[in-house]
Amino acid sequence: MSAHAGHSLQALLAVAVFAAYEAGAWRLRRRGDRWTPRRDVVFGAGVAATLVPGAPTFTGHMLQHVVLGMVAPVLVVLGRPVTLLLRAVPKTARHRLKRVLGSWAAGVLVFPPVAAVIEAGSLWLLYRTSLFAAIGDEPWLHGHVFLTGLLFTTAVCRLDPFRHRVGLGVRAGALIGAAAAHAVLAKTLYVTPPPGVLLAVADRQAGAQLMYYGGDVVELGLALIVALQWYAARGRADVRARRARSRRTGVPRGARS
Amino acid sequence: MTTPGRGVQPTARSAWAGVLAGIGVAAFADETVFHQLLHWHHFYDRSTTDAGLVSDGLFHAFGFFAVVFGLVLVADLRRGDRLSGRALTGGVLTGAGAFQLYDGTVQHKLLGLHQIRYAVDLTPYDWTWNVVAVLLVVAGVVLLRRARATV
Repeated sequence: MSAHAGHSLQALLAVAVFAAYEAGAWRLRRRGDRWTPRRDVVFGAGVAATLVPGAPTFTGHMLQHVVLGMVAPVLVVLGRPVTLLLRAVPKTARHRLKRVLGSWAAGVLVFPPVAAVIEAGSLWLLYRTSLFAAIGDEPWLHGHVFLTGLLFTTAVCRLDPFRHRVGLGVRAGALIGAAAAHAVLAKTLYVTPPPGVLLAVADRQAGAQLMYYGGDVVELGLALIVALQWYAARGRADVRARRARSRRTGVPRGARS
Repeated sequence: MTTPGRGVQPTARSAWAGVLAGIGVAAFADETVFHQLLHWHHFYDRSTTDAGLVSDGLFHAFGFFAVVFGLVLVADLRRGDRLSGRALTGGVLTGAGAFQLYDGTVQHKLLGLHQIRYAVDLTPYDWTWNVVAVLLVVAGVVLLRRARATV
């Protein structure tokens, strides 16, 4: 398949995915469910971001990977596609989907440390073995980078409903661990190229720094998502505690004892 | 000291929020001021050990999370009107000083991660760096003790 045909196919797939999302959102809205337009916008932006073109330079390649493997997954996950799917499909399909999401295998895959090892591990394998020299430009590799990024982001953010609950510490630890693995990999690329690849020094160093600082920006976003979730959950817990107290004491809600 | 959790004294929570934010701010200031603005530090120094690289990566990643989480913790304490300003300030100073001291001794000296500055006599730089770090920790600890005494 020529590169051009590959791009057209990719664009077609992106349009189909977004159309399916919109069909689901339309269905929800028609029956009166709330689905904020913000989610449509971020999901659309995430899908569009997967179409980022490659470039012949290492820096261009790295930009493509930062966008594909980190920026696009965060945007897609913020659109809560699994929640939408669960609510938009017919009952039987929903039950089947819930069984899959609640399965042992899904639980392991979205356990944050596992997802972090898969994501960071595949990057280390790619750049620190001769894999990059062999498959660095294969189109399916970009798909892999996006999917592992999506898995990791899903596992850490947990915005969609999963049966398996994971504590804040585990999610924070996985995020910090993966971000550290990224930072270290970027610094090693700054001094040593992937085995078997000839790169101009300036190009390689610019690419490594792009990986380092680009990763920081996305990590900051992920940390914000996780921290704000904790903030919201604490708020809900406070409200519940206050209600329980007012029921016990008979003091009306809002009035402080 | 106890870890932050339910039922912990509000001053301890404020202090922990400060420590997290302090570490994050120190890591962030190091990155912007010495790496980006002054260009004193190198992105990578060939004498860096593998352990230095890993330590740097971990603290770099932790710094981002710490500053975000420290601030959200402060917002949560404020919401419940449980924030102790003195404990928070003490925590920020202690966290920032401890990180700077770790950076200046273990990371720069022991693990060979980049130096403060290149092509100059390092002695005054190293001393200033670490003395400032100790002063920050001392000031932080004094504030924390006072915050505890006033509860």
